[in-house]
Amino acid sequence: MSDLAILEKPAVANEKLEKLAAEIVRVPLELQREIEQFLYFEASLLDDWRFRDWLELFAEDVSYVLMTNTQSQTRDRRRGVHPPLTYIFNEDKYQLERRVARLETGMAWAEEPPSRTRHLVANLRVLSYDGEVVETASNYHIHRASKQTDLYSFVGTRRDKLRRVGSTWQIFERRMELDQFVLVAPNICILF
Amino acid sequence: MDDLLHVRSLVNSREGTVKPAIYTDPDIYRLELERIFARSWLFLAHESMIPKAGDFFTTYMGEDAVLVVRQKDGSVEAYLNQCRHRGMRVCHADGGNTRAFTCPYHGWSYGLDGALNSVPLEKEAYRDQLDKSKWGLTRVTRIATYKGLIFGNWDATAPDLEDYLGDMKWYLDGFLDRRAGGTEVLGGVHKWTIDCNWKFAAEQFCSDQYHAPYTHASAIQVLQPTAANKADGSPLGEGQTAKPVWADALGGVQFSGNGHGSAFFFTGKPDANVWVGGQVSAYFREHYPEAVARLGEVRAKRLAGHNTMFPTLSWLNGTQTLRVWHPRGPDKIEVWAFCIGDKEMPDDVKDALIKSHARSFGPAGFLEQDDSENWVEVQKVLKGHMARRTDFCMQMGRGFEERRSDGIPGLTNYTFAETAARGFYQHWADMMSAENWGEIEALAKVSEKELADV
Repeated sequence: MSDLAILEKPAVANEKLEKLAAEIVRVPLELQREIEQFLYFEASLLDDWRFRDWLELFAEDVSYVLMTNTQSQTRDRRRGVHPPLTYIFNEDKYQLERRVARLETGMAWAEEPPSRTRHLVANLRVLSYDGEVVETASNYHIHRASKQTDLYSFVGTRRDKLRRVGSTWQIFERRMELDQFVLVAPNICILF
Repeated sequence: MDDLLHVRSLVNSREGTVKPAIYTDPDIYRLELERIFARSWLFLAHESMIPKAGDFFTTYMGEDAVLVVRQKDGSVEAYLNQCRHRGMRVCHADGGNTRAFTCPYHGWSYGLDGALNSVPLEKEAYRDQLDKSKWGLTRVTRIATYKGLIFGNWDATAPDLEDYLGDMKWYLDGFLDRRAGGTEVLGGVHKWTIDCNWKFAAEQFCSDQYHAPYTHASAIQVLQPTAANKADGSPLGEGQTAKPVWADALGGVQFSGNGHGSAFFFTGKPDANVWVGGQVSAYFREHYPEAVARLGEVRAKRLAGHNTMFPTLSWLNGTQTLRVWHPRGPDKIEVWAFCIGDKEMPDDVKDALIKSHARSFGPAGFLEQDDSENWVEVQKVLKGHMARRTDFCMQMGRGFEERRSDGIPGLTNYTFAETAARGFYQHWADMMSAENWGEIEALAKVSEKELADV
């Protein structure tokens, strides 16, 4: 009997579970792999300081947004009351390019000498797809080593929308969350 | 005057030197919490953040956690965010709306007015013998507002807020009073930590225009409105005068008094050197006549300039950032940055300003990134024994102070000068060595005269 037999075994359905599991998008393996490799490649371009190449992976109409985070009491949250948020990043393609240009001046002191980063991408889920557009959610962990002993960690979720361009993809929307209420870093001088 | 820790030997405002131990010594820091932060007027919140009864905002006065609460009668009170039973933080939210603050530890519950209203098992455990009227939340001694900004002070003998502000009111008005209707906080609060002493940040906003061309060289290079930068889009400095304003600036201004300081360039147009998107600079130009009518031409034009109200409230005109440097030990601060806009701004301009504010002076801001890096590295260098004993040079423009006759208040100098830094540290030393506000004021009189008379 093959190891895959379990997949073929008729199972007793659990209605509640079936309904919940319907949220899991049955994405073709090929597509999942393709998107995964694309996001890993994107991460490597940042980590290898290939910022101009990184920009190529973003569509001309890209919207790249990271919001702050606040804490409010459950009873306020239940009635939709919470302290207002604000932007950490709110970039279009041009603004992203200016950030790259800034790093290239050699005078962006927070990145001089340049830090090392590792952008880890995990828990990739495809939320929807058609022939043109794929919507994903993934968790990120960015590790940054700077100056002599400074280590920073940024953890959160990215919600990306990718558009089919020729044989590959471009990101045209990135919405991010960062799991810190008071940011434990003197600044954010790298790209997420 | 007792000068318990001999801080007066560490600051020499006449010669223009400070010993960097003032940024590192834990004993000095503990005394600062008592003598600076428990005696100065400290910014708590903007009125617009807590408009309705029961609205609250949690913040800090020095390291003391406080709750700022809108009362049923419309007034504002502030309390230590500390239960009177075992000291637990009674509220963990950043803000919200409530009818009561109930401690999560044993359930003591306080009203909006800070009164202890209920205690679990009062009859059984306390045998009905607890005098609840004596155990309300600890009230911040004095609350006062100035044009929308709410301040608190623990010292009943401190001068009134407006006297404390002194000439700084003239500068603050230029930020808060450009249009009828006043200002409000736009969007949320940026909060982040920097491993540096609070005085680096406060002093820079008080006195240091000198750092801008070099520290912010990268941002200036990529954001200024040159043809190359504009080729594909709108750089943040889109509405600016295209060359550095100090190139043909008519002079500058510095000011100090009670430790406050400020500087700006005299510019030809109301749009020089503002790091905001084009839509926001267009708004400033459009409403320039109203600002002139309210403030006069000099202040109306002043859309670039840095300011610190002693000890830890700083703001930048034009980019509209207002921030508090909450101390967290001798070598750490939390920055809380608020975006301030005119109430009368159209919604689309407010939205554009929120975005510009984040892009220039949020934690990922093009300009903000550079500042924190300097302060962190200085603080690290000061781990060295010899480094802490080595004088800092604070002599720029010494002896060129003047009092102007054109109505611009304060002790003035060229834009690039350290007059306000010398005033800032002298006031710091005066507060640290004085036992009460009477002494602080007497010392300030002497210090200000000396500062002007090198």
